[in-house]
Amino acid sequence: MELNPLKMSKGIRLALMGNEAIARGALEAGVALAVGYPGTPSSEVIETLQRYGSEIYAEWAVNEKVALEIGIGASIGGARSLVTMKGPGLNIASDPLLSAAYSGVDGGLLILVADDPGPITTQTEQDSRWYGPLAKLPIISPSNSQEAKDFTVKGIELSERLQLPIILRTTTRVNHSIGEVILGDRKIPKRYQKFEKNPERFVRAGMSWNLERHKWLDSRLKEAEKISEDLFLNSLEGDGRKCIVTEGIGYQYVKESFSMEDRDIRIIKLGLVFPPPLNFLARSLERCNEVLVVEELDPFLELTIRSYAKELNLLNVKIKGKIDGFLPLEGELSPEIVRSFIFGKKEEDVMKTELHVPSRPPPLCPGCPHRNSYLAILTGISKAGFKRKDVPIFGDIGCYALSVYPPLSAIWTEHSMGASISMAMGMKLSGFDKPVIATIGDSTFFHTGIPPLIEAVNKRVDMLVVILDNSVIAMTGHQATPSWSETETGRKTKEIKIEDVVRGIGVDELRIIDPYNLDEMASAVAELLKKKGVNVLIARAPCAIYEQRRKGRPGYYTVKEDLCTGCLACIRATGCPALYVTENGKVRIIEDDCYGCGLCAKYCPTDAIVRGD
Amino acid sequence: MGNRINILISSVGGQGGLSLSRMIAVASGISGYSVATGETLGMAQRFGSVKSFVRIGLGEKVYSPVFSLREADYLLCLELIECTRNLGYLRENGRTIASLEVKPPISMSLEASKSKPNYSQYIETLKSFASNEVIFIDPDEVRRAAGTIKAVNAAILGAFVSISNLFEDKVILESMREVLGSEKAIESSRKAYELGKSLAKKEQSLA
Repeated sequence: MELNPLKMSKGIRLALMGNEAIARGALEAGVALAVGYPGTPSSEVIETLQRYGSEIYAEWAVNEKVALEIGIGASIGGARSLVTMKGPGLNIASDPLLSAAYSGVDGGLLILVADDPGPITTQTEQDSRWYGPLAKLPIISPSNSQEAKDFTVKGIELSERLQLPIILRTTTRVNHSIGEVILGDRKIPKRYQKFEKNPERFVRAGMSWNLERHKWLDSRLKEAEKISEDLFLNSLEGDGRKCIVTEGIGYQYVKESFSMEDRDIRIIKLGLVFPPPLNFLARSLERCNEVLVVEELDPFLELTIRSYAKELNLLNVKIKGKIDGFLPLEGELSPEIVRSFIFGKKEEDVMKTELHVPSRPPPLCPGCPHRNSYLAILTGISKAGFKRKDVPIFGDIGCYALSVYPPLSAIWTEHSMGASISMAMGMKLSGFDKPVIATIGDSTFFHTGIPPLIEAVNKRVDMLVVILDNSVIAMTGHQATPSWSETETGRKTKEIKIEDVVRGIGVDELRIIDPYNLDEMASAVAELLKKKGVNVLIARAPCAIYEQRRKGRPGYYTVKEDLCTGCLACIRATGCPALYVTENGKVRIIEDDCYGCGLCAKYCPTDAIVRGD
Repeated sequence: MGNRINILISSVGGQGGLSLSRMIAVASGISGYSVATGETLGMAQRFGSVKSFVRIGLGEKVYSPVFSLREADYLLCLELIECTRNLGYLRENGRTIASLEVKPPISMSLEASKSKPNYSQYIETLKSFASNEVIFIDPDEVRRAAGTIKAVNAAILGAFVSISNLFEDKVILESMREVLGSEKAIESSRKAYELGKSLAKKEQSLA
């Protein structure tokens, strides 16, 4: 009996992850449509809603821009919707975001954007709060699971009262932390109400209309603080003269320090981080003789407070935060950093062990088809008569980026979603005279890889594109792609075949190959590398973990110790984490972890690796 | 050890470290404790370093989901190398429970041609670093008792409950049901849990 937080009733107290709490909040807010693109640390919101079944629409979209546009379409018809993504996803969705601010919404539209201080799993330490002033849209920021749920409900209400989309901005420690949540009542999902033709509002082709809508937007934004007070988004604790302005997880770190030291401090917590609640701040910051600003990532609140220092009567008050270097601009905060900041304590020396602990960069899983694909690509480069160092492999975002680590050390770049093909193209166009290879996963291809392929074909740029098709969005936890015929909720879909798309674009040659047939794939790579035009190789084999979960593994391999010479050829070729070297210098396979792909056996010169069935 | 208890769970992705943290979180909820957990996992689905923070408040609220070095009252390890990596979190007089399993990272195996690895040094480091007796769990013993090595997390949970006295057995069983779902997993975890408890008791009576 697995617990389903979505189906339990009001008043129950549960330990929920922030993202599960947001999912529950969506139901308590009467959200009828939830859509997003997977991205750590945001993915569990849609995943949790999908466990609720198909009563509301909770599905993955092909990318974040499409997801947001779906949400906007629903909300201008009066339905309530939630759109989810990680920070960089909002960059992709920023175009509809800015236009949506001008048209406004009727049904509540809440956009979850999850930033990742650290960074723990993201390409940049982007601070998405800047989208507040950029798009002129309100941003609210919860600090724990309870608020994650409550702010989802309040965010939808704020959205409807302001008629604006609202950004619910979180950081990893809120999304991925478990904390207590007291459930509220679920509401009946608010679906389509009405949509009346109103070009001034919904058509951005009229420049005078746009100017008027901009004025309208500014007037709505002015109302945000007042409504935020009705919704109790901001709070004030204590009445000390040492004042701390904080938001999000920073608040929890402050609270932790405060209760440990029991000092007389005033804590001003913002739930509405944009537009700045200036009246609340002015009231709360009265008679402060020092203002400390505790926030993750950029000095967003600090800059706000500094820029309104006059209005907030802080001209003679010291404002401390990141700008003067009291708190770090990079990396995530910790309770210890915040404690030292508030109380000026030095960090204690930490006992260290003498022992060297080896690093553990994330590897490709045992049996992962991407390992075979990259081995085939590297072998193919040599087979075609090139040196590996002469043929750049442009990578893309997904599990296969882990091929950057030894022993494969395969990809040369990993940049932004879909960039492999277009960056390879730029290299060629600028005069690079050796072949280039772009490698891109199936879901990344659907997401933002199709326009670059069109561009490459259209401009006749020679390149080999390898589409690594494991038929699932693997890295973020195995979500559906457009190639599925049914989604996680059981909704029947029309499957989109990558080969149809690729053929439709008119590439010069297309081959589909099983990367487990390593030699065949290496030969294909070698051949296509020497051919003119845009040639596409679809390396198709299901994600090994996903396959194993559904069907069990094909078997496992084991090492005959007497035959193993400890040459480590298997490990040096594959880097498979199911293999390791024992204290006697021989290789052992962790049989529980082995998938049974047999790749290591292929590289063993003494046939010491055999099936273990 | 005050009214707030900090637990660091150190594992390799895929071993069940997150389920362990979740089981403790759910059990804390049922027991009426304040609880917060935070996890740090790398980009890999599996086989990366995973650190889970669990904080329990007895009669007082916990706020931060994470804590800093030298603040762990308990260090629960599903793998020895990861355990050593995170020893700095252990506070003086903190307790360590560690599975004897070793999953050497690829970086280490690639270096192995230069010098043969020595895994017992991790056990020695743990023993010399911890001010209290370390409770070791033999994964083979778990496999024999529970039928699967996947239940090592439940064995660690058993040892933890035995030395911390934080939870009643029935609360743990309820949290296993919530977190693990399948009957098969609950059954093997229950057996491993009992094994972990008895191992800890044996350790304590020796100490």
